[in-house]
Amino acid sequence: MSSEVKMPIQILQGTLDLMILRTLATMGPQHAYGIASRLQQVSEDALNLNQGTIYPALVRIEQHGWTCGSWGKTENNRDAKYYTITKAGLKALDEETERWRQMASVVEKLLAEER
Amino acid sequence: MARWRRMVAQLCSLLANKRAEDELAREVESHLALLADDLERRGMPPEEAQLAARRAYGSVEQAKQAHRDERAPLWVQNTLQDLRYGVRTLSRSPGFSITAVLTLALGIGACTAIFSLVNAVLIRSLPYGDPGRLVYLYTPNPRYNLPPEDFGPAYGDFYDIKRESRSFQSMTAFDQSMFNLAEQGSAQRVSSARVDGDFFETFQATPKIGRTITADDNQPGHETVAVISHALWQSMFASASDILHRSLVLDGKNYQIVGVMPPEFEYPHNSDLPGGVPQYKTTQVWLPLALNPHQMAERDNFGGNAVARLKQGVSIAQAQAELSTIMTSLDKLLDPQMQGRGALLENFVDSTVGQVRSLLWLLLGAVGLVLLIACGNAANLLLARAAGRMRELGVRAALGAGRGRIVRQLLTETLLLSILACGSGIAFAFLFLRFLPLLDPGNIPRLSEASLDMRVLLFALALSLLTSLLTGVLPALNVTRSNLVDFLAAAGNRGVAGTHGRAQSALIVIQTALVIVLLSGAGLLIRSYINVESVDTGFSQSTLTTSVQLDPRYGRPLQRAEFYRNFYSRLSSIPGVTAVGGINALPLSNSETWRSFEVEGYANQKDQLVEGRWVTPGYFSAMSIPLIAGRLFSDDDTTHTDQLAIVNRSFANKYFANGNPVGSRINVDDHHVRWSTVIGVVGDVRHSSLEESPAPQIYLPVAETDGGYVVARTSRAPNAVAAEIRSTLHAIDPNLAASDVQTMGELESAASARRRFQTSLLSVFAGIALFLALVGLYGLIAYSVGRRTREVGIRMALGAKRSDVMLLMLKKAALLLALGLISGLVASWFATRALQAFLFGVGRHDPITILSVCGLLAACGVIAALIPARRAASIDPMQALRTE
Repeated sequence: MSSEVKMPIQILQGTLDLMILRTLATMGPQHAYGIASRLQQVSEDALNLNQGTIYPALVRIEQHGWTCGSWGKTENNRDAKYYTITKAGLKALDEETERWRQMASVVEKLLAEER
Repeated sequence: MARWRRMVAQLCSLLANKRAEDELAREVESHLALLADDLERRGMPPEEAQLAARRAYGSVEQAKQAHRDERAPLWVQNTLQDLRYGVRTLSRSPGFSITAVLTLALGIGACTAIFSLVNAVLIRSLPYGDPGRLVYLYTPNPRYNLPPEDFGPAYGDFYDIKRESRSFQSMTAFDQSMFNLAEQGSAQRVSSARVDGDFFETFQATPKIGRTITADDNQPGHETVAVISHALWQSMFASASDILHRSLVLDGKNYQIVGVMPPEFEYPHNSDLPGGVPQYKTTQVWLPLALNPHQMAERDNFGGNAVARLKQGVSIAQAQAELSTIMTSLDKLLDPQMQGRGALLENFVDSTVGQVRSLLWLLLGAVGLVLLIACGNAANLLLARAAGRMRELGVRAALGAGRGRIVRQLLTETLLLSILACGSGIAFAFLFLRFLPLLDPGNIPRLSEASLDMRVLLFALALSLLTSLLTGVLPALNVTRSNLVDFLAAAGNRGVAGTHGRAQSALIVIQTALVIVLLSGAGLLIRSYINVESVDTGFSQSTLTTSVQLDPRYGRPLQRAEFYRNFYSRLSSIPGVTAVGGINALPLSNSETWRSFEVEGYANQKDQLVEGRWVTPGYFSAMSIPLIAGRLFSDDDTTHTDQLAIVNRSFANKYFANGNPVGSRINVDDHHVRWSTVIGVVGDVRHSSLEESPAPQIYLPVAETDGGYVVARTSRAPNAVAAEIRSTLHAIDPNLAASDVQTMGELESAASARRRFQTSLLSVFAGIALFLALVGLYGLIAYSVGRRTREVGIRMALGAKRSDVMLLMLKKAALLLALGLISGLVASWFATRALQAFLFGVGRHDPITILSVCGLLAACGVIAALIPARRAASIDPMQALRTE
C-alpha cells in the first residue's frame, strides 16, 4: 500500500531535492514555508503541490548531511526551523545540477528528433 | 558516503523517535502559522486565513506520515507498530496471554535446563588443554575376558612404550591412594594421586600458585613435596597466601607444599576415570609417584593409570598401530604363561562422557517432545483466539492491510509470547539447576557444573524463535486463508469454524500421540527402577561400613593385627552393635580382584578367573549374608596354616553341580601350588552392580583388612553408632581417620542413583507433557462448547436430554483421544527402541506398561473433557437461544 503512495514522489524525488538545494543556495537559510512559497513563486503556481509534500524531501536532504536545521525566529517573531545548506550540500547541488542538465538535454534532444 | 550517513541518521531517528515527532509537530505548526500570517497580511480575516492555510498545506497527517516514511526504514517502523499493537492486544486478554506464556515457558524451560546439562557434560571443553588429543592407554590381555579398562600398563611396559613410541607429545603414569591427613589433633582421609613428572604437562594444567610436580621430585629423596587442590587450600589453610611455606602431614610423613591447583583441576575424579574407585571423589593432593628402579622395571603386575597426549596431527589409529607393534615385542619379555598383552588407546573424552552421552541425548529428545506439545497447545490457543478475532482482522483487511501484513502482525504477537515465555523458561531452568544437586547421581562427570552460560541463553533464545514459528504459522495462515472481507460482509462467525476445528483437532491428536510416547518411556523406566530396587542384594541394608587405613607407624604385621583386634573388640562393645567384620572391598564399591583358579575334579579351562575377596570371620554375620552349607570362618582359620575358602551359591551351582562343595578343594594360589578346602557356602551378593546377576565368588579368610572396610551390624539408629565408631577410632589413635562412614543401604542407593536420576527426570517430563495435553484437550472441548451454545440450546429446546448433550460433547473428545492413543502406540512401538539400553527386567513392548499408560491417558482425558461437557449439559436453553 505504501508503494502506491510513493510512486508520484519517486518521479519528483531528484528534482524536488535539487530545487530545494538550489533555493537554499541562492536565498540562504530558509524555513519549510519559505522554501515552499519560493517554489510556488518561481513555478508561478504551475507546481500544484501541497506544501506538506516537501517534508520528505527536507528530511531526506538533512539525513544526507546536505543541510542542517536549527530553530530560529522569523521577522514576526514566529518559531521556525531554518535549513542551511552545508558544504556537502553545495557539492551535491553542483553534481545534481550537472546531472539534471545532462538529463534535460538528452530528453530535449530526443523530443526534438521526434518532432 | 551520503548514503551511509543517511542510513545511520535513519537508525538514529528510530532511537530518538519521540524527539523527531515533537520537532515535526512543531515544524508543521510553525509552517501553518507562517502561511496563515501571510494570508492575513494579504487581507484575509484571521479565521479564514487559518482555514485557507490548512487547505494550501494539504493533509497534515499525510505530510507527517510521508516525513516518517522518509525518516526511518519502513520495515522497522512496521515492526515497531506491530509490537506496540501486539503488546496492547496481549495485555487486553491476560488470561489467554498468561496461559500461552506459561505453556511455552514449561517447554522452553525444560529444554533449556536439559541443554544446560548437555552443555556442561558434553559440549563445554574439559579444562585439559586440547582434550581431544588425550588418550587412555591400556595393555589388555584378551585371555582373561575382562574389560580392557582393568588393564593399566605395568610400569616396565609403560616406560618402554614411552621411550620407543613417537606418536605422543607426552605421557604420564599415575596412581590413586588414600591418606590420613593430620589436622590439629585429629585426622581426615584425603584422596590423592601419585603422579610422575609429566602428569601436569600432559594435562596442560598450570598451578594457581607455586609449581607442579617435576621429574626431579620423582627422584629418590626428593619425593616429600605435595601440590594441593584449590578446595583443600580453602578448607584447611583458609586460602593462606604463605601456603608455599606450609606443609602437610600425610600418614605421619611431612610433605612440603609446592603448589596449589586452580579450582577446575581436580583430576582424577571418580566420575572421570574408567574403573575409578568411588571413594576417590576428587583429588585433593598430588604427590610424586617416585618409583624405585625395581618398580620401574616391573612387568608382571598391572600398574596404575596411563594417559598420553597425541602429537599434533597424529590420529588415534596411527598411534594405536605403533603401540601394537611395540607391545608385540614387549610381550615376548613376559613369562609365557602371562603373554598375550596387546595395546589399546581410548579417546579420553569418550571414556569420560561416553556412557552418559546417550542418556543426555535421550533426555534432550524427551524435552524436545515436551516442547512440541507445548507448541501444539499454544497454537491451539492461538487458533481459538484467532477465530474470536475474525471481526477485528476483517476490519483491518477491509482497511487495506494485505495478507502478508496481517500474517506478520499475528506472528509478531506470537513472537512476543515466546520472548516472554523464553524469559520465564530461563527462570524455570534456573530453578531446575538449583534443585539439581538433589538429583545429581554423582557419577555423571561435571554435571554439577551445569549453569546458564551464554551458550545456554542463546539456545533458549533460538528455541523461543523456533517456538514462535511453530506455534504462529499455522494459526496465521489459517486465519488469512479465509477471505476476511467476505467474512466481515457476512457479519457472522460460522463460515470458518470448520477449518479451525480440523486444525485444532489434528493438533490434539498429535499431542496425545506424543504424550503416549513420553508416558510409555517413563513407564518403562519406572518399571525398570522398581525392578532394580526390588533386587535381592543379599546383604543387610542397615549394616554400617567405614574405611580405615593405618599409616607407616604400623609397619609390622603384628602391630596391624594388634590394632585391628583392639578396634574390632571395642566396636563390638558399642551398645547395639551385634557383629563386626572386615572385607578388602565392599560390594557395590566398584573394585574387584580377579584371580585365576582351578577346581578339583572339574573340567577347568585355561585362564579361568574368579572374583575373590578377603574377609574376617565376623564379616558374614555383620552383613547378614546367610550360610547355606558348611560353616563360616572362625578366628582360628585366619592363623591356621591350612588353606580355607568359602564360596557363594553361584560358585557352588556352577562348579559343584553334582557334588557337595563342602570339603572339596580349589586352587586359588598365585603359583598354583597350594590347594584350599571349601568349608562353607554362603548366599549370593550383588557385588559389581545392582543390575548384574551375581557371579561366582570366593572368600578367603584374613585377620584384618587394612585399607579396606570395616562393617558392623547394629540394632540402633546408624547415625548414633556412626558417631561412636568415629570416637572409638579417635580414642585408639587420634592420627587415624575413618572415612566413608555409611550404611550398605546408602551404598546401594548410590549405586542406583543414575537410574533414579533418569527415571525421575523422564517421569517429570512425561507428567508435564500429560498436563499440557490435558489442558489442551480441556481448552478445545470448552471452546467448542462455547461455540455451540446456541446449537445446544436448540437441541434442548427440541427435547434433547442433558445426558444426550453431554454425550455429544464427550464423543468428540473420545474420538480425538482414541485417534491420539492409536497413533501414539504406533509411534512408541518404534520410539522405545531408543530406550532399550536403559531398561532392566522389562521388555520395551511391556504390555503392563502399555496398558497402564493407555488407561491413565484415557481416564485423565475423559476427566478433562467431562468438565466442559457438564457445563454444556447445564446450559439453560432459553438463555442460550437469546444469546447471539
